[in-house]
Amino acid sequence: MDCGISRRQFLQAAGGGFGGLALGQILGTGSALGSTLNHVPKAKRVIQLFMNGGVSQMDTFDHKPELAALDGQKFDPGDGRLVESVTNSPGFKVLKSPFAFRRHGECGRWVSEVLPHMATVVDDLAFLMSMNSPTNVHGLGSYMQTTGFTLPGFPCMGAWISYALGRINQNLPEFIVLPDPKGLPYNNLGNFTSGFLPARHQGTVINASNSRPVRYLFPPDEAKHINAASEVASREVLGFLNRKHANQMPGDSRLEARIQSLEMAARMQLSVPDLFDMKGESQAVRKLYGMDEDNTKDFAKRCILGRRMLERGVRFVQIWSGAGGPSKNWDNHANIHTELPYMTGQVDKPITGLIKDLKARGMLEDTLVIWTTEFGRMPFSQGQAGRDHNGGTFVTWFAGGGVKGGTTYGQSDEWAWKSETGTTSHDMHSIILHLLGVDHEKLTVRHNGIDRRLTDVHGHIIRDILA
Amino acid sequence: MLLFGNVLMLSAANTGTWWALQPLKRPAIPQEASKFTGWASNPIDRFIAVKYLQHGFAPSLPAGRVSLIRRASYDLTGLPPSPREVDAFVNNDSPVAYANLIERLLGSPHYGERWARHWMDVVHYAETHGHDEDAIRENAWPYRDYLIESFNSDKPYAQFVREQVAGDVLFPDQPSSVRAIGMLATGPWDESSQMGISDGTIDKKIAQYLDRDDMIATVMSTFVSTTVHCARCHDHKFDPVSTEDYYSLQAVFSGVDKVDRPFDSNGQTAKLRRRLLEVKAQLDRGELPHPLPDYSLSAHREEQLRLGQGGWVVLYGAKVQSTDGVTFEAKPDGSFLAQGQAPERDTATFTAALPMDGVTAVQLDVLADESLPKDGPGRAPNGNLHLSEIVVKVSGRPVKISQAKADFNQASWVVENAIDGDPKTAWGIHPEESKPHRAMFVFNKPLTALKGETMEIELRQLHGGSHLIGRPRLSVTNVAKPALIEILPPAVGQALAIEPTKRTNEQIKVLALYFSREANAKEVAALGERPKVYAVASDFSALGNFKPAGKPRDVHVLQRGSVHSPGEKAVPGALGCVDALKSRFAITRSDGEGQRRAALANWLADERNVLTWRSIVNRVWHYHFGRGLVGTPNDFGRMGDRPSHPELLDWLAFEFRAGGGSLKWLHYTIMTSSVYQQNSAHNAEYTRRDSENRWLWRVNRTRLDAESYRDSLLQLAGNADLKMGGPSARHFNMSKGVHVTPNLDYDLFDPDSPANFRRSVYRFVFRTVPDPLMQLMDCPDASQHAPKRESSVTALQALAMLNNRFLVRQSERLAKRLRYESSSLSTQVRELFELAYHRDPEPEEGRLVLALAREHGLANACRVILNSSEFIFLN
Repeated sequence: MDCGISRRQFLQAAGGGFGGLALGQILGTGSALGSTLNHVPKAKRVIQLFMNGGVSQMDTFDHKPELAALDGQKFDPGDGRLVESVTNSPGFKVLKSPFAFRRHGECGRWVSEVLPHMATVVDDLAFLMSMNSPTNVHGLGSYMQTTGFTLPGFPCMGAWISYALGRINQNLPEFIVLPDPKGLPYNNLGNFTSGFLPARHQGTVINASNSRPVRYLFPPDEAKHINAASEVASREVLGFLNRKHANQMPGDSRLEARIQSLEMAARMQLSVPDLFDMKGESQAVRKLYGMDEDNTKDFAKRCILGRRMLERGVRFVQIWSGAGGPSKNWDNHANIHTELPYMTGQVDKPITGLIKDLKARGMLEDTLVIWTTEFGRMPFSQGQAGRDHNGGTFVTWFAGGGVKGGTTYGQSDEWAWKSETGTTSHDMHSIILHLLGVDHEKLTVRHNGIDRRLTDVHGHIIRDILA
Repeated sequence: MLLFGNVLMLSAANTGTWWALQPLKRPAIPQEASKFTGWASNPIDRFIAVKYLQHGFAPSLPAGRVSLIRRASYDLTGLPPSPREVDAFVNNDSPVAYANLIERLLGSPHYGERWARHWMDVVHYAETHGHDEDAIRENAWPYRDYLIESFNSDKPYAQFVREQVAGDVLFPDQPSSVRAIGMLATGPWDESSQMGISDGTIDKKIAQYLDRDDMIATVMSTFVSTTVHCARCHDHKFDPVSTEDYYSLQAVFSGVDKVDRPFDSNGQTAKLRRRLLEVKAQLDRGELPHPLPDYSLSAHREEQLRLGQGGWVVLYGAKVQSTDGVTFEAKPDGSFLAQGQAPERDTATFTAALPMDGVTAVQLDVLADESLPKDGPGRAPNGNLHLSEIVVKVSGRPVKISQAKADFNQASWVVENAIDGDPKTAWGIHPEESKPHRAMFVFNKPLTALKGETMEIELRQLHGGSHLIGRPRLSVTNVAKPALIEILPPAVGQALAIEPTKRTNEQIKVLALYFSREANAKEVAALGERPKVYAVASDFSALGNFKPAGKPRDVHVLQRGSVHSPGEKAVPGALGCVDALKSRFAITRSDGEGQRRAALANWLADERNVLTWRSIVNRVWHYHFGRGLVGTPNDFGRMGDRPSHPELLDWLAFEFRAGGGSLKWLHYTIMTSSVYQQNSAHNAEYTRRDSENRWLWRVNRTRLDAESYRDSLLQLAGNADLKMGGPSARHFNMSKGVHVTPNLDYDLFDPDSPANFRRSVYRFVFRTVPDPLMQLMDCPDASQHAPKRESSVTALQALAMLNNRFLVRQSERLAKRLRYESSSLSTQVRELFELAYHRDPEPEEGRLVLALAREHGLANACRVILNSSEFIFLN
């Protein structure tokens, strides 16, 4: 696509920091694809729910009755195949799921008892039943799922989407991340980086539980000399000086861009408090998400905020469940029986509420919802009752714009140890870009001698799950 | 599609050799064009003028004096000139005033700070590991100081290159050049894969290949502007880099890992240490020292040892009972070897008759054994153990222990924990597993109990995770002041027990080696603690599963970059495409890795390596003009830009090399050219024809980068602490995180903390939790090489510059300074313009700013000026 190429040249010039660029390109209101997308998009915006730590597939959606028969035996896949686990702790005995599975919905999807709410919306969900990851290490796996590379420093999907599509609102960032209040995920902010894309495409982190959720929005409390009146007066003088300077230095669009960026900053000061003002949310909505229950209220709040952001034109929202580290997340090494329900109990109702709410508001049609994690877990034990990391197979689901609810693609082997179909992060990313109207092979940026893509040199759009 | 790299690119017959690989010849300096008489006084300008004529451009007018001194000051030092310096320069009519200015700035120590920061971008310097377990590197900064010193001393470029790749090998008598190889370790390091995963597994192998990939990419992008990392999976699609070349580079670094590396601060100590270590290596090989140790000295030591050993009596034949079902096998040396499956926790109680009266202390040996995990001495998977408490009872009554001592204590798991009565604390020996250890517990007074009475010793091991002692041995003594004696190897103990005259030759040799080692270790210790730099090494103490390579690891040419498909073994080398140089290195030593790195360093720094010389002059040009003569400073390949002025690039490279690689010469030559001294005014017609200003018909207006902006505020407010070097300033509060990575809080960090006043080059760069202000001002992601910076304009950036606590505080401090210097508000406002813009206010703006200051305070006026475009952009 020609306009993509010329955009790239413009950005390379911007890297040098010269004038002479179109204003939209400096402010990011333009897009890498110009005004034309590669094709008609099915989804306009995305909300991704990232379960940090590696969700156990065979205890949630990937039902493996065969494990019950082998329970307690040493895990042996036969043919002399090598069985390794990253922590290499004792165990390696087949561990059946301690949870009961039942079929749900018209599609008859198997769901375990730890996700009773999600089970009620399976007809809206399309499953990649068996993704796999090239690594069994959290940091690398998270990078793979967020950036398409296992190494740090590559732009994440949200940054690529922001870069490709530009902004659709004038008051809020286009890519917002809501981390777990308990802490940042593995790789910290590395998962939200713009890498070698311009810094404006990085994820803006909003700490929903913080009294100042958006950093730098207002002057610091201790600056007593700054008040509403001084702000108005200061903005006026600053505007005058910047305008005068821009007039004296014609032809440099960055000077105009600074004036506009200050105006947008002022609008943001109004729109962010409005975003967080939840008074307008009805009791029914609060209940639907689980805002009033201790166990679910945090994730519920972030899901509602996510929906409010989407309503206000934020392009990409990413909500994280679980901080980094060894516990209180989805990294259930010690006891799957107790650790997994602790996590599912926090997110099951809010996520289901989000799907239902988006549907009720007619937003699900052009909003893409993605539920995912960095890898799965082992069908055999670590210690007595835990499960170690397993890049071999894990589950991701989609809902909403362009997705065919009730479908699945792919399957794991009889133990849910390894994938038989091998769906990759690149496939997942290519589907998401496709639904947004972007051809993943054409969205490239040259960096250090390589035309980089979110999908590297891979990525197959899996049409089985698309409407 | 994958194969055209090597063959096609190198057959120069049809297409000619690629520009970057052509031999470096000195292009003739073009004649001065009559059209630009008087303008093109410097050879650089002659080359530039040729392109003007070709493309129909003419130079812009010379920049004003104020613009010129601001531009030059920021370019060379990253700091604004003071109003006094501006005045002096503006009013100096001397024809050499400008040249003198450049010379003065090049002589400033701040020059090194400014240009080191550029270099740190290129080599992706940071002070944490990155990745999931983003731990702090306490010793990264000596590399940064090395850079600053090297720029300031105008180190010849070839030496600068050599030092950073193999300074430790090539310049052993300048030990501080070990700091230079910090360059190889600037990139991320995957702690959870490297330390957490066992050697030999697939995940570990991948981690090792990728770690070397980072070193290769850093070295080759930085020094030869080549994107070799593309060839990890297949021959480079566009450039003449084969997969074999790539894995030859992997083989160069196959003997090293990223780790803290000690170095000597002077050459003499280094020399002495080297000699002692040679002796040690000899002894470790079992070669007898020459000359043999002085017998009179060792006889004394023998006596000492015998006495010490003799003072202790092993509790042979003790009865042992375990609370958690452990059974023990009694060994002939008096130790007890645990059998069977290890429980989580255990308390083992030893019961024995006292072998003497008046016992003063008990000694616990924890011995290694091959039946234990990692040879023990503990039973945890890594061979560690945790002794929660030791309790001694005589005839059922507890004995008070007043002192504990051990030959080794794990950090925060010290032996005193075993006598503190707290079952949650314990003694541990990590990372010194796989060898025996000894602890001694001294009673507060000698026992009144007599020989033959019963003593019970409980070893409570309550930590869990099978942190149990695998092979304990207990002994007691009744000497008045018991000393902790090292555990002798059995052969030494046996030899010592024999009369000197009756020893066999073998026994004499055993003792000679033992005493020589002891003397050697003592001499090494006497050299004192060494400073460290986070660099690379082949030899270091293992950290968990992260173990030194010792000698180069085998590297294979991986098909499609996959460790699952190893091909031929790779041999050390570099690129085949630099014709004048051999691409595979002559390696005479198979065991040492140093020779490999030295060979690469020499390959890079060779006069005939045309890439190296073109690369550096382009990089310097890039930082002066905002764009290189080649627009892609890290990529001179087919995916990169073509040079806009190839003859000029070659002239600079040739002269730079011929002149001994002086960067200061290069700066001076560039900055005294007419093209550098143009103004940055707009020209609508030229912009239409050349929006990128490729033909340099003006100077590019630049926005202050994050560091320059921050440093300028400090300078203006009179706060800057210009101390150079040392550990980095941390601009965040830090608390323990849930796992390895700490929690960082930049927002609550005290804006008045002295750490804030250091120049930004000394700022601690945390890879996965970067400073949000600096990030919004386009500091690059330190996990990527950043040969160029963005210069963005966003609403979030505007908010950060207005509202960041530190920046707001600087505007208050600037106001305070102005009030201190003058009592009249209008003078204060004029002074503010002078400091920030280096000019007087014009009537209307002066009136507005004064009104703001009058109604809302001077600090608000300062905040406005510090956020204004005129302050942030350089003309």
